[in-house]
Amino acid sequence: MFFRSGLLPALVIGFSAAAYGQTAQEIIAGTDRVRNPGQPFHSIDILTEYVSGRPKAQSHLAVYSKEDPSTRQFRNLIVYIEPPRDAGKMVLLDGHYFWFYDPASKASVRISPQQRLIGQASVADVLIVNLAVDYRGTLVGTEAIQDADRREHQCWHLDMKAADDRASYNRVEYWIEKGTFYPIKGKFYSDSGRLLKILYYKAFQDRLGGVRPTVGIIIDAVDSALVSTINFLEARFQDIPDAWFQRDYLPRLKAE
Amino acid sequence: MMYRSNRLILFGLLAAWPAIAEENMDIDLIPRAIQDQMAPVVDRAPASGPRQRIYFENANTLASLRAGLLVPFPSQRPPTWQEEFFIDARKEWSLLKNFNFAYSGRMNLRVEENLPIPRTENVRHDFREGYLSWEALDRTYLDLGRINLKSGVALGYNPTDFFKSRSVVEALSSDLTVLREDRLGTLMGRAQHVWAGGALSAVFAPRLFNPRSIYTNLGLPSFNPMFDRTNAHGRVLVKGNANIAGGVSTEFLIYHEGNRFQLGANVTEELSHNIVGYAEWAGGRRASLIDDALRYGKQTGSIPVRTPSALPEDGHKSFQSDLSVGASYSTETRITFNLEYHFHQAGFSQRDWNNWFNSGSGLPAYLSRVPAQLWYIRSYALDQQEPISTHTAFLRADWVDAFFPKLELTAFINIDLFDGSAFVQVTADYYLSNAWTVGGLVTRNFGKYRSDHGSLPQSSALLFKVARYL
Repeated sequence: MFFRSGLLPALVIGFSAAAYGQTAQEIIAGTDRVRNPGQPFHSIDILTEYVSGRPKAQSHLAVYSKEDPSTRQFRNLIVYIEPPRDAGKMVLLDGHYFWFYDPASKASVRISPQQRLIGQASVADVLIVNLAVDYRGTLVGTEAIQDADRREHQCWHLDMKAADDRASYNRVEYWIEKGTFYPIKGKFYSDSGRLLKILYYKAFQDRLGGVRPTVGIIIDAVDSALVSTINFLEARFQDIPDAWFQRDYLPRLKAE
Repeated sequence: MMYRSNRLILFGLLAAWPAIAEENMDIDLIPRAIQDQMAPVVDRAPASGPRQRIYFENANTLASLRAGLLVPFPSQRPPTWQEEFFIDARKEWSLLKNFNFAYSGRMNLRVEENLPIPRTENVRHDFREGYLSWEALDRTYLDLGRINLKSGVALGYNPTDFFKSRSVVEALSSDLTVLREDRLGTLMGRAQHVWAGGALSAVFAPRLFNPRSIYTNLGLPSFNPMFDRTNAHGRVLVKGNANIAGGVSTEFLIYHEGNRFQLGANVTEELSHNIVGYAEWAGGRRASLIDDALRYGKQTGSIPVRTPSALPEDGHKSFQSDLSVGASYSTETRITFNLEYHFHQAGFSQRDWNNWFNSGSGLPAYLSRVPAQLWYIRSYALDQQEPISTHTAFLRADWVDAFFPKLELTAFINIDLFDGSAFVQVTADYYLSNAWTVGGLVTRNFGKYRSDHGSLPQSSALLFKVARYL
């Protein structure tokens, strides 16, 4: 019974993992450093959406990211470059303030944390986030799991709960490779406990001053026929003034 | 001790094995093309960048009209069919250092019932925007030209969107979010400074033309920027916004047009993980909608000056408010609802509606000036983008990836709270590829003959469209 519930194995593994001397928060902070550089940066991300295994659409997004020194949360500004029907649309994600701007109607619309998860710009909430700030983690144990290329990795398995209402998801599960702190896999859950997204990281390469994942594979757990890949291209450090995260600045941004 | 510990780990791993094996099954959901690291093959248009959008669209509209209106429609009735093809372009150019130029416009080719080919009105260019922008200091801007300036946070009605009046040329949809895409900007000078904590803007739009009569569908000029729509009054606007702690965002506005002052405010707040609440208010001294409409009709020659008014005129001005208050709610299934209440104090009261119907129904033919005036008031409200009734409710739903991926459904209902009559519009857009979109919309006016929406000449309409983005 204990084995079927997974409680005893989790306790046993958790005890042994703690023996390595890493707390859950330290592990999460370690993987944050792998994914995110410590300076403001700009990248061009290509999001390819697959429907039932076939590529259906592609979006090019310009992403401007900067850590808020007071909260250590990321402020993200996402500009649609493609598809052409969405060109110039922007999503501002800054703490409690989320705005969607459409240059065709010149309208800025305030959106809720849930609404920001609709659409391609939601990838920023999965990929460019300081998990150690937004979530409180528990080390479930160590597990050997496969990455998207079916290579096996010894990973810490962490279960994270939202630290406050700024977190995009209520609960996140994460598998982080021991030793390297490379993120291998993540699972993201809604307030109701529903599994929303499964994320695999791959193609670790030298980027923005460190070895970081350059490809993410996002499986829509609500409709598993929908799978997206995101390729991080042309990443570079860039000075980003705080005024860029003001909603009235959105019409002024000259994204490249 | 170490031996016992290793045994425990091994024991735990064996026990957890089914869960790990199940975890690895998620990889089966990844398409073969990704697993094999094949390059994605996607039908996509050439990269054009975020600073331009150009597309062609063809739209066919069929409409059904009501017979036996209580207040007879005085002029030519709305067309029962329309065919419209247009090229829509929005583009920005970087000129010298810190200088940009922006253009936005639409070239239309249209044919409709009562507008056969060839007429000069078959071709029309809507010059929406053309302005020069200079960043004089860091994030301090000076703009000059025709600018489409939009304010407000609500979806169904924006009391603080002071530059909306007379700006919509021809509507292919009644959805305000779509209407805003083809509205004319105003010739103005604008100064704006944006800083980390907020933004401050000052706008001056000069009076350059005298007000002209309301354009009819058949009287739209071909190549005329129609500055008389947007610059018939001198206008000044000062507005500033700031985020307040706790997720509250505010904007305050002071507006002056002709001899009329208005104040405005916008507030939005994140109420929960799924809900954003918002309120938008504007107020100032003004006459009622009826008085404003009749005065404008006489001023522009649409209503003979000495003609007695078809409805009782009040004549005096008082402080009147406009309000939109509502909330958006998003579900995990990608549906976003917006529910709003709209208050337009200068609009029709129940007594005004009674007068409107009583004055206009059952009249002999020689009194045709009466229905003409009554309908003029309604066309004035539409031209000014003002609600006609004092109390209305608005509900909108937008569903992304509805039923299957790439299908977006949008529906909204606008209800007159006096009589329960309503206007409903349902839109479907299917994104065939990055370049092609096909879609359609259905509209219907519901209500009794003696009601706001039931008294309109158009009963329902159907539109099909195909768009190609470059």
